[in-house]
Parts: sequence; structure tokens; C-alpha cells
Amino acid sequence: MLRLEDVSVTFNANTVNERKALKNINLKLDNGDFVTVIGSNGSGKSTLMNAVCGSCNIDSGQIFIGDRNITYVKEYRRARYIGRLFQDPLKGTAPNMTIEENLGLAYSRGKKRSLAIGISSRDLRLFREKLAELEIGLEDRMKTPVGLLSGGQRQALTLLMATIVTPKLLLLDEHTAALDPVTADKVMSITEKIVKENKITTLMITHNVSNALEYGNKTLVLSQGNILAYIEGDERANMSLSKIMKLYADSSGDTLTDKMIF
Amino acid sequence: MSIKTMINKKSIITLIPKLILVVLLLIIINTQMTESVVLGTLEKGLVFSFLALGIFITFRILDIPDLSVDGTFTLGVAVSVMNAYNGHPIRGIILAVIAGAVAGCVTGLLVTKLRVQPILAGIITMTALYSINLKIMSRPNISLWKKDTLFTYFEGIFGENSKVIVAGGVLLVVSLLLFVFLKTQLGMSLRATGDNEFMVRASSINSDTMKILGFALANALVSLSGAMYAQYSSAGDTNSGTGMLVVGLASIIIGEIFFRKHSILFGILAAIIGATAYRYILAYAMGLGMDSNYTKLFSALIVAIAIAIPVVKGLSIDLYKRYILKNKGGASRC
Repeated sequence: MLRLEDVSVTFNANTVNERKALKNINLKLDNGDFVTVIGSNGSGKSTLMNAVCGSCNIDSGQIFIGDRNITYVKEYRRARYIGRLFQDPLKGTAPNMTIEENLGLAYSRGKKRSLAIGISSRDLRLFREKLAELEIGLEDRMKTPVGLLSGGQRQALTLLMATIVTPKLLLLDEHTAALDPVTADKVMSITEKIVKENKITTLMITHNVSNALEYGNKTLVLSQGNILAYIEGDERANMSLSKIMKLYADSSGDTLTDKMIF
Repeated sequence: MSIKTMINKKSIITLIPKLILVVLLLIIINTQMTESVVLGTLEKGLVFSFLALGIFITFRILDIPDLSVDGTFTLGVAVSVMNAYNGHPIRGIILAVIAGAVAGCVTGLLVTKLRVQPILAGIITMTALYSINLKIMSRPNISLWKKDTLFTYFEGIFGENSKVIVAGGVLLVVSLLLFVFLKTQLGMSLRATGDNEFMVRASSINSDTMKILGFALANALVSLSGAMYAQYSSAGDTNSGTGMLVVGLASIIIGEIFFRKHSILFGILAAIIGATAYRYILAYAMGLGMDSNYTKLFSALIVAIAIAIPVVKGLSIDLYKRYILKNKGGASRC
């Protein structure tokens, strides 16, 4: 589904601050894969996401979704196939617009925006149904501006918006990191449910190593712009927290930070 | 304290400035003005409502201050006056709207494709338009004395109130169209662009196109305002656009005293009512003997004061707290 060939990204090229964020990354995701990505700060996790969704340009290499080469496709055009969630709950929704208007915008993803009326009554019924499935009571507040919702509610809504038109690829950039532990668990379980039901190919960054092993079917470990390990199958089933830590310690002296062990 | 009583108290507090303003306006209208002044002010208010609607789109929906407004207002005046002078007042208004939209596109392209800062982009367009407007009119001012205008066409039908009816009718149609447009998929994308550009791009909307569309729409409305104003006053002047951005902002700020709610309907109503109220306040000040040279100073003051109010409020609360601490002694000294 997603294929990266020799992708490199450099920030501040040819200056003293030059920093290679991704070094010749080769990566392949099959249809329906749920890949979790871990790595310490500055390992290139977010840059990987940004390269895939097009918000940062790559120096070399190519990116494919299915058979389509999207290396030079603009960010907003890639968004037709890619659903995205950010760490910051404020980034995914328009605060001054109502829940139904936000969903209406997301629902027209990939279509040409026309002068057709924004939200039909059939759409409204669908939105209500989908919101009810989240089980956080948003279905009765469809006329509420999103700015009045809590971070967890906004993140759950963003998740619904990203998947209401089933994307080919879902990118989750630490989307539970800004939430309290209980809400984070809730959002994680909603995520898993939606991803499983629609069989969406997913790439999820997380700072939480146990989450990384618990969810999904593959785990990608990044360190300083390189792929340290791409764990799947039996190897992943036998993987434990301590083994991952050891893997890290054995590599280029990059150690996992305390933040990752909870 | 229960939530219900809090809400009630809060809504009463927010009502006070509205009530004061309404009472003031009524007093002004009743005591100070003759019937003809009341009518004339209403006409002006309606004509300048288009300007407020245009600025509402850039300033409130796109959240970008668009300075090209000063140029596009005059552009509307120029196009409208020249066509009316040559006997085509209605064509003049239609062409003015198109010209305004084109000028808006220029600002939009500067902002999005060439990454010029919005304020600078507006100044560039405004400055360029100054020459273009002079070129269109070929002299600094033109009078439409004894020429047909949109308003004279209807004088025979509606008589004395024709100007209010014509301007009000056009305004009603335009604001209805604007309201419906902002509820369409395209309109919703436009609103979201000003609200959260990140989210818009992640939803496969081209935010650049939306911004250009917004600038075009806003400047078309501003140009329409200029076109109507020129034919209303039967004269065109190349300097008539000076300070129009601030006038429009003042209108919106006054209107928002009445409608605080962030919805499209209330936003449009606030722009129209604010533009009209602004004219009445201005007429009152003139009635008191204010020099007409001070009108721009007056609108600048309204905008500056309205924006400063929250800061001054915070400052005075700070001072009050400090004063209390000082009188109690202790705390402030250590």
C-alpha cells in the first residue's frame, strides 16, 4: 500500500546546522497493516509522517501509495488518500465551526467542493450514527462549536473526520500524547475499533512502548534517521519492553528516554 | 452558585452595552435629526453595508486584514461613475463588481502564490489601483449631475423612498446570496480556511484557492459598495476610498456589540446593522457641529478604542487588586 524508496530528508542543508532527519529510508506497508513507530526525540518519526503526507519536501527517493507515485503530489491532493491526526488536538478541527460542519467538510474529502448545499439531511443522519458509535455523547451536540469540546472529544472527532471517508492510509502522530491517561486509552480503543472495522492501513507514532507492542501488527523502531528494526510476526509476539530497550542500548548509543517507559 | 444563575448574570452583563447603544441611537434619531437626515443616513448606511460585508469576509472569516479595500472601493466608484456618465449605470455596477473581484484575485495571488505578507500585499494592490483609478476616470472627480443612475430609474416608481428601497433591495439579495453561499460546501471550505488552515489542507482542500476566492469575493463586495455610493451621491472622486478599511472595521465592531454570537447569520446582520449604526453616530456627531474633516479620525478612534477595551479592562483589574493588597498591608511589601 505505502512504499518508501531511499527517502532522505535534510534540514538546513549546507549550513552548520545541517541535520539529516531521514537517511535513505526503505519501507513497505502491506494492505491492512497497522504499523506502530517508536524512537526517541529527533529520531525522525515525525519527519517520516510529514514526508508521507507532503508537509515537508524530501531530498531524494520516491514515495508510492498503491501504484501511484506521490513524491511530487501537493499536500492537499495527497489528503484525498491520507487521513491524518496530529498530537495537538487543536490542529485537526475548525474551532469556530460546529461539529456537523466539521464533519461535513471531512465528508466531502476527495470530491470537488461545489455550490451544493454543505450538509444534507441524509448526511446529518449518517453523522449522528457515526458520532453515536464513538460513545462519548457528541451525537446530541451536533450544533456545538468544536472549540467548546475537550481535547479528548476533539481528538475523537478528528479521528472520525479522518476516517469518515475511508482513507487509503491513516497517519497518527502521537495523537493521544496530549490527553490524560484515561482519555488516551479511550481514544486508543476507538482508534483500534475504527481501523479494524474499515481495515485501514495505518502508521502510528507513539511515545509509549507498551502501546507500540499492544496495538497493530508491525513495529518500526527508528533511531537518528535510520530504521533500527522492523519487527513483525513471531519476533514481535516474543518482543518485550526490555528487549526493545536492549535493542536500543545496543545501537548507536541512543538511549530511550524516561518518557517512553510508562 | 448554579450554572443557570451564572449564565443569566453573564447574559445580563453582556446586554448592558447593547441596551445603552440602542437607547442612545433612539435618542439621537428622535431628538437631533430631521426626517430627511434620518432617511439620508439610513440610505448611506445601506450603501456602506456592502463595504462592511466585504470586510467581514476578509477580517472575520479569513482572519486576514485586507488593505486593498481602500483601492477597490475607489475602483468601484471609478468604474461605476464612468459607465453612468456614458449612460450605462447598471452595466457600471456589474462591471464594478467584476473589477473588484479581479483586484481581489491580485491580492490573493500575491498572498498565496508569491508569499507576500497579507498587509503588504494589500498595500501593493491599493497603491497600484490608485494609478489605475486615475486612468479610468482620467480626472480626479466627475459629477453625474443630471445623468441617469440606478437610483433615478426607480424614482418614478417609489418616489421619495426610492433610494432606501433600491439600496435595501440590492442589499437584501446580496446578503441572502452570501448567507447561502457560506453554507455550501465551497463556503464551508472558505470559512474553515480562516479557522484552521492545517485542518483544511488535511481535508484535501486547496487553502490557496480558498484564500484567493475569499479576497475576490470581499473586494467584489467592497467595489459594489463604491459603485453604489458613486451613483447614490451622483459623483465620483479618486480619493473616496481613503480610510475605508477602518470605516468598515468600525462598522463591524459596532455591529458586534449587538451580535456577539459567532454564526454566519449574526455575522452578516452585525455587519449591516453596524454599518448603519455607524452612519447614525457619525450624523449625530456632525449634528453637534463636528467638522466633517474629522470623520476619519472619528472612525480610527472607534476602532482603536474597541480593540483597546480588553487590555484596559485587564489593566484596571490589576491596579484594583494591587490597591487592595496595599491597603491590607503585608502581602505587597514582602
